[in-house]
Amino acid sequence: MVRVQARDRWVRFQRRLAPYLFVSPFYVLFLVFLVIPVFFALYASFTNWAGLEVPQFVGIRNYINLFRDKTFQLALVNNIWYSGASVFIVIPLALFLAVLLSANWLRGREVFRAVYFAPILTSAVVVGIIFILLYDYRYGLLNWALAQLGLPTPNWLGARELKKPAVIGLIVWRWTGHHMIYFLAGLQSIPQELYEAAMVDGANRLRSFIHITLPLLRPVLLFVVVTTTIGSFQIFEEPYVLGAGPADSGLSLAMYLYRVGFQYMRQGFGSSVGFVLFAIIFSLSLIQTKYFGLFREE
Amino acid sequence: MSVARARRIQRFPSQVSARGTLIKVSIGVAKGVVYLALIAGGILTIFPFLWTVSASFKDTAEMFRYPPSLVPPVFRISNYITLFTFSERVQFLRWYLNSILVTVCSVLLSLTFSSMGGFGFAKYDFRFRRLLFGILLGSMMVPFHVVLIPLFVMMIRINWVDSYRALILPFSASAFGIFLMRQYMVTIPTELMDSARIDGASEFRIYYQIFLPLSRPMLGTLALLTFMGSWNSFTWPLIILRSPDKFTLPLGMANLLGTWMGERLWGPVMAGAFLSVLPILLVFVVMQKQFIAGMTAGAIRG
Repeated sequence: MVRVQARDRWVRFQRRLAPYLFVSPFYVLFLVFLVIPVFFALYASFTNWAGLEVPQFVGIRNYINLFRDKTFQLALVNNIWYSGASVFIVIPLALFLAVLLSANWLRGREVFRAVYFAPILTSAVVVGIIFILLYDYRYGLLNWALAQLGLPTPNWLGARELKKPAVIGLIVWRWTGHHMIYFLAGLQSIPQELYEAAMVDGANRLRSFIHITLPLLRPVLLFVVVTTTIGSFQIFEEPYVLGAGPADSGLSLAMYLYRVGFQYMRQGFGSSVGFVLFAIIFSLSLIQTKYFGLFREE
Repeated sequence: MSVARARRIQRFPSQVSARGTLIKVSIGVAKGVVYLALIAGGILTIFPFLWTVSASFKDTAEMFRYPPSLVPPVFRISNYITLFTFSERVQFLRWYLNSILVTVCSVLLSLTFSSMGGFGFAKYDFRFRRLLFGILLGSMMVPFHVVLIPLFVMMIRINWVDSYRALILPFSASAFGIFLMRQYMVTIPTELMDSARIDGASEFRIYYQIFLPLSRPMLGTLALLTFMGSWNSFTWPLIILRSPDKFTLPLGMANLLGTWMGERLWGPVMAGAFLSVLPILLVFVVMQKQFIAGMTAGAIRG
């Protein structure tokens, strides 16, 4: 009798312990490879640690120097351009394509979907390499096409004013299809009856778009805008492969961090860049979520 | 107007009046414009891929010929031969195998840890569950670049630099993966657990022999997403890997560019680019629905 009770207790104990054991791999890795490094970075950002030297505490001097650094300011401005393009060019374009694709009379939707989605599957580095060839001043296909149309054929990768548009072109090519998929899913979840009811009431296409579609797409829109903003401030591979360009005109914040922390080996300063990046991303996400109003918790 | 005529106007407008014909034609034109826009966009999107394949079969003279041609007059495989010829700095086949190794390991570990974590959160009500899940979600908000430098320093300290452990292990349990698995497992009836327990199964057996097999669809999706992330990963391998014979594919391709761009060896570079994107495009074509389902899984519900 006692043996049965003891075994019962062991089984019950196992059952209480089980969930913790199941989730523990994540938390162990999380602790070791995320939490500890984050706190270490925090400490490092207040030191003058560089290369193999012994770090010394310097207070907020890194942060002050950071905001004074001309290259950082340039990277920040560049990145704002990249984010702006990601939100105000890619997203409306993706929404437009999704609306076109969601027409119920459309044939071949699966094919279109696959074609538009394909770019995001590939490595940004490999695609960047392909685009270097396409953007080439003398032999690139883009300039060949422009020449056929009688348009100017500038040096996309070598001119200071054109470096960012060139990178943005790559971003638009890569990300439009990806966002389009999200919008497509969102559009398809809006019940048809709403549109029919609106048409009975005499609303035209544009009005039903503004007053039915957009409000009901709000959760998806919010998700896409926030994740796009977060992602756009961490852009690294696209500008890295296309090159920061003449006079750092294409330099992104993540590239700046890489340069400072790994090429110049200034770990303390680099850590402060990381936290400033974190702060920018975090506050933008907060503002956007508040502005959109809806934040549905799980 | 009779009822019959009114109905005829509604269903066959063009047969009844000129205005009806105008409406029908303009709807047709509008549809044509839509198709045109979609096809034009599609061509622009697919074009870089087509060009890469085409260029990989041309030699240098043909590639820069004016006017350029989409289909090469002669299909040459010399670029591919150059690509695979062993040399100190270019070891394409090696890089390919390295990527396969790292990706397979990453996928296996990720599936394991994510399904375990998802199972724990989905099927148990334990103290701290809310808190721990909140931490899980919060961890997704920390950008990678914050930990980039200290993580690298840590790798130096524990001597994991230039190793595959450093590539695979730190990211093997993904919060997003656990989130996806949890969402899916919640829909599997809990009664299965009770009957299994009555039969004397341990908790781990319940996970391994009941819930894991039943979660195959979501496991497939997660495998695809992990495969994509690992195959294309560049930044972390760039920082961690030092010896060229250990490079993964994206890193190798960037190296290829640096080595061969000066010599204008674009043909082999394009061949390499094509082979790099081929696996993932093939997998996508076969498993399109699962791919897209996985990516939109978190978004719609908010």
